[in-house]
Amino acid sequence: MDQFLLVLVSGLASGAVYGLMGLGLVIIYRATDVVNFALASLATVGLYAALALYDSGLPLLLAAVAAIVVTTAVGLAARETVIRPLAHGELLTALVMTMGLSLIAESVISTIWDDQPRLFPSLVEGSVAIGGSAIPAQSLLTLAVAAVAMALVAYLFGRTTIGSAMRAVAESAETAQILGLGSQRIARIAWALGLGLAVLAAVLYAPRAGLVPTVLSAPLFRAFAGIFLGGLTSMYGAVVGGLTVGVLDNLAASYVSAGYRDTFVFSFTILVLLIRPQGLFGVRTFQRV
Amino acid sequence: MSAISRSTLARAALGPLAAAALIAVLSSGVIPPYQAYSVGLAAVYTVLVLSVGLLAGWAGIWSIAHPAFFALGAYFAAYGSGHGWSVEAVVLGAVGCSAALGAFLGSAGARFSMLYVALLTLAFTMVSLEVMGQWTDVTGGDQGIPMTKLHSALGLGTLASAGTQAQYLAVGVAGIALAVGALARPGALRMRLVAAKSHPMAARSIGIAPEAQSALAFAVSAAFAALAGVLLAVVVGFVSPDPFSLTLAISLIAACVLGGAGTLIGAVVGGAYLTWAPTAAESAGVPQPILQGIVLIVALLFLPGGVVLAVGRLARRLLLRRPARQAPTAVELAEGPAQTVPAPSATAPELLRLDDVSVTFGGLKALEGASLSVRAGETVAIIGPNGAGKTTLLNVLSGLVGSGRVAGGARYHGKPLLKSRATARRRLGIGRTFQHAETFPELTVLENVLCTRRRITAQHRAAATELLDRVGLAHVADRYPNELPFGLHKRLDLARALAEEPELLILDEPFGGLDATERTLLARQIVRRQERGTAVVIIDHVLDDLFAVAHRVVAFDFGRPIGEGEPGKILDDPRVRSSYLGEGGARDELPARDGTERAAVRLEGVGHSYGGVTALHGVDLAVPQGSVIGVVGANGAGKSTLGRILHGTLPPTLGGRTAAEDLRSALVPEGRALFKTLSLRENLEVAAYAAGIKGAELRTRLAETAEWLPPRLRDRMGVAAAGLSGGEQQILAVARALMARPDLLIVDEPALGLSPAMVDEVYARLGRLAHEGLTVVLLEQSLGRAASACHEVIVLHEGNIAARGEPADPVFLARAEQAYFDGQDDASVPVGQG
Repeated sequence: MDQFLLVLVSGLASGAVYGLMGLGLVIIYRATDVVNFALASLATVGLYAALALYDSGLPLLLAAVAAIVVTTAVGLAARETVIRPLAHGELLTALVMTMGLSLIAESVISTIWDDQPRLFPSLVEGSVAIGGSAIPAQSLLTLAVAAVAMALVAYLFGRTTIGSAMRAVAESAETAQILGLGSQRIARIAWALGLGLAVLAAVLYAPRAGLVPTVLSAPLFRAFAGIFLGGLTSMYGAVVGGLTVGVLDNLAASYVSAGYRDTFVFSFTILVLLIRPQGLFGVRTFQRV
Repeated sequence: MSAISRSTLARAALGPLAAAALIAVLSSGVIPPYQAYSVGLAAVYTVLVLSVGLLAGWAGIWSIAHPAFFALGAYFAAYGSGHGWSVEAVVLGAVGCSAALGAFLGSAGARFSMLYVALLTLAFTMVSLEVMGQWTDVTGGDQGIPMTKLHSALGLGTLASAGTQAQYLAVGVAGIALAVGALARPGALRMRLVAAKSHPMAARSIGIAPEAQSALAFAVSAAFAALAGVLLAVVVGFVSPDPFSLTLAISLIAACVLGGAGTLIGAVVGGAYLTWAPTAAESAGVPQPILQGIVLIVALLFLPGGVVLAVGRLARRLLLRRPARQAPTAVELAEGPAQTVPAPSATAPELLRLDDVSVTFGGLKALEGASLSVRAGETVAIIGPNGAGKTTLLNVLSGLVGSGRVAGGARYHGKPLLKSRATARRRLGIGRTFQHAETFPELTVLENVLCTRRRITAQHRAAATELLDRVGLAHVADRYPNELPFGLHKRLDLARALAEEPELLILDEPFGGLDATERTLLARQIVRRQERGTAVVIIDHVLDDLFAVAHRVVAFDFGRPIGEGEPGKILDDPRVRSSYLGEGGARDELPARDGTERAAVRLEGVGHSYGGVTALHGVDLAVPQGSVIGVVGANGAGKSTLGRILHGTLPPTLGGRTAAEDLRSALVPEGRALFKTLSLRENLEVAAYAAGIKGAELRTRLAETAEWLPPRLRDRMGVAAAGLSGGEQQILAVARALMARPDLLIVDEPALGLSPAMVDEVYARLGRLAHEGLTVVLLEQSLGRAASACHEVIVLHEGNIAARGEPADPVFLARAEQAYFDGQDDASVPVGQG
C-alpha cells in the first residue's frame, strides 16, 4: 500500500509536468492553430541558460525566471520569422516547421554546451514522511507549483478581459477580426504564456531526469498523449489528460514493465481515442457542405 | 484494351533504365568503394522517401510511423539471416506484416483529423523504439544484430550482405519501385486517393470512401518502407536501433518536402539528400540537425512544391510557352433558339419519394415534414429564403447530413434510401453538384471526371472525353481546375456528376455566380438531361433561371414545405411570396431628415469579386448621417459583401470608399457570430478590449450597455451566450457592437431564424438607436421588413443595385418587389438618389 502511495504521488508529480506542458501546447494551439513541437526544445534552451547563470552565482529562483525570459524571447523571435509568414490554417506546415525548429534548437544546445548529462539543481531536497512512506519533497513541490500555475491560468482565462479575448480568438478568429481584435497580439501573448508554462514544467522535471539536450522529449510526447486524451482544445482536458498519463506511466513502470511504459501509455491513449475520437473533453464537430 | 498509354510506359521504363545504367557504372569500378556504398544507401533511402512522399502527396497522410516500418523490414532480414530464412520468406513476411499494420493505421487514422494521424503514427514509432530496445532476444537491444546472408528458396542463389551485390540489388529495386510509381501515377488509385484527400465530401458523392482509400494507401506505403528496410539490412550488413529514431521521421519529412511530396524524381532527390546530408553538413562546418532544420524551414517557406516542381516550372518558363488555346464559347451559343423544356411522359414511373422527412442537428430542426415525389424525366425546383432547409434536403438525398439525425421515409426506385451510405448512392444512380463547385484541385479536368471509376479502361477514357466535349470542357481537359474561370469550374462539377449517367441529378445552386451566357448553356445541359429521362432536383436563388427549366416548384420556409405549384404560378401564392418579401409591419416612426445630412460613408463605383466570382458591380451609394438605410435582396445578391465594404474591413476590388473623419463603424454579422462559449459580460468586454478600451472606461461602458439590455439579459450577464435564444443572441450581438460607441451600425440579417415577436423587438430596438442619432444600415432578405424600418431602400439583385427609393412611396414598393425577383426596374420613373 505504501509502495502504491509512492507510485501514485510520483505519478501525479509526473502528470503535473505533462499537464503543464500540455496546457502550454493547448493554449498555443487554440490561439494560433499551431501544434508546437518545438515547445520542449525551446524550454530546454531556457534550462541550459538558467544552469549557466546558476553556475555563475545567480540564485536558482532568479535563474528559473531567466529561463522563462530566454525561452520566451527565443520562441517569439522564432515565431515571427518562420511561423507568421505561413497562411492561417496551415496546420500541418506549421507543425512540420516547429519540428525543424526543434531540431535546430537541440543541435544549438549541444553545440554551445555539450551532450553530456548534467545535474540540474533542485529547489528542495529530502523527503516528507506521510503515513509511513517517505514522499520526495520535490514531488510535492512539483504538485504545488503546478497547482498554483494552473489556478493562475484558470484565473487569467476565466476572470480577465485579456483571457476572454484569447478565448474569443480561439473560438472564432474571423469574428474577432470583425470586432477589430488584433490576432497577432493575442498570438504573441499565447506563445509567451505557453512557453512560460513549459519552462516551469521543465524546471520542475529536470532535477529528476538530469539535463541533456533531449531531456524534455519524453515528457513532450506524454503531454501530447495527454492533450489528445483530453480533447486537444480543452485546457481542463490537457491537465486531466496529463495527470492520467503520468499516473498510468508510473503504474506501468512499477507494476508492468519499466521498459514498456510508452507502449502502455500510447496504447491506452489510442484505445480511448478509437472509442471516443473527440477525446475526453473534446467536442465532436461535423462538416457542412 | 489496355488503358496504359505509351508515354506512361516510356516514363515507367526510365527508372529501371537509369538503375541499369547506374549498376553498369558501379560495376565498372570507376566509383571508389565507399562512394559505391553511399549510392546503395541512397537507393535504399529513395525507396523509403518514395513510400513516405507518395503517401503524403497522394493520400495527404504525413506519417511519422515510417521509421518503424523501415525498422521492421531491417530486423526481419537480420533475424531471418541468423535463422536460415529464405529471401522470399523475409520479403513476404516483412511486407505482409507492414501492410497489415499500415492498413490498421490508415483505417484508424481516417476516423481522425490530420493531427490525430500525427499522434497515432508518432505513438507507433515510440512504441517500436521501445520494442527494439527491450526485445533483446530478437533485436539484440542497443548492441544490434549482424546481417549475414540469405538464400533463395526458389534456387536463385545466395544474397550476401554488405557488398557490391547488395548495392546492385538496392539500386535495381529502387528503379523498379520508381517504375511502379510511374505506372500508378495515371491510374485510378492515385486519382481516387487525391480526390478523397482534397475533398472528402465531394469524394463520397462520387462513391469514393476516404477510409478505405487511406487504409489501402497506408498499407501499400508501409509495405514499400519495409522493403526499404530489408534492403538497408542487406546493404549495411548490420542492424541496430540508431537509424530508426524519431529524428529519421523528421528527416524523412524534410526530404519529402525538399524533393516535393508526390513526385517520383523528388523521391530520388530526397533519397540522395538523406544519404549525403551528413557529409554536406560536415563540409559546411555545421551540425547535421541544424542543416536539416534549416533545409526543412527554407523548403517549407520558399519551395512549397519541392525542388523538382520549382526547377520544372523554371525550365518550362525558359524553354517553352504554353500553347494558347481559345475557349470556343461563342460557337456553342450560336446553335438554336431558346430551348423548350420537354415534359416528362405521363406514364413515367415515380423515381424518388420522400415521406415526412426531418433532420435535426442537436436540438435544431433543420428540416421538418418534407414530402416530395419526383418522376423520371421530371425537374423539381426547391425554393425558399436562406435557412429554409433547401441544402439540408439535398444532403438527405445524397447522404451527407453529417451528425444530423434523419427521420422519416425515403424510397428510391421503390427501395428504402435513407439507410444506404453516401458512397453507395452513386451506384444507385444519384449524382450531385455542389454550391461552390467543389472540384478536386490536384487533378486535371479529365481526371476529375475519370476518378469516378474504380478501374479506368480505354472505353471510360473515351466516354469521359466525349462528356467533356458535350459540356464544353474539351479544350481544357488537361488543365487544373484552379486555372479555370468560375463558369468552367461549375461545368466541371456538373460533368463529374454526369459521368456515370445518373438517373437522379441533384443540383445545388448551379446558376449562382454564372454570367448570362453560362446560364443559357447550363439550362441547355439540363434540358438535354430531361430529354434522356433524368430526374432533376435543383435549388437556387436565381429564380428566373430555375423557373425556366423546372416542371414543378416546391417552396420551403423554416424547414417545412409551404407551397407547391408550376413555375409561373408559385410566386402568386401569398405564403410563398411573403416568405421572401416578409410582411410589412406598421411603418415605424423614423427620425426626420431634411436632406442636408452629410454622408457618413460613401461608395463610388464599388465592385468586388471573390476568386473569379463577382459579388458586386458598380455600386454607388451614400449613407447619410442619421439615416436608416435598408439593403434588400435574396440570398447571394451581394448584401453581406456590401455590408463588409461599408464597414471598412473588406477592401473592395474596384472603386473607392470614403468615410467621414473618425467614423467608427461596427458590424453585426449574419448569424450573430457571438462567442458562444463566452458569457454575456465577456462578449461585451472583448468588444471593448478590441476597440482599445480598458479599465474604468470599460466598466462604465459595460454598465451603460447592460442598462440598454432587456432585464432578462441583464440578469444573466454571467451565463454563456450559447444559452440564449436566437432573439436574445441578436440583441446581445447588437449590444456588443455598441460597446465601441459606433457612429455607423451595420446589421446583417437581424431577423434570420427569429420568431415574429422577436423580430419586432429587435427592430424596435434598432429604431430607438436611430432616434438616438445612430446611422444604421440594415441588410435584409425581407423587403417588407426593410420598408417598414428604413428611410431609404436599396434593392440588390445579383450584385447590382436594381432599384432604390423611399418606401413611403407606394409606386416604389411595387417596383422594388419586381426588382427583387428579376432585377428589372420596369417603372420609367427616373431614380434620383445617390
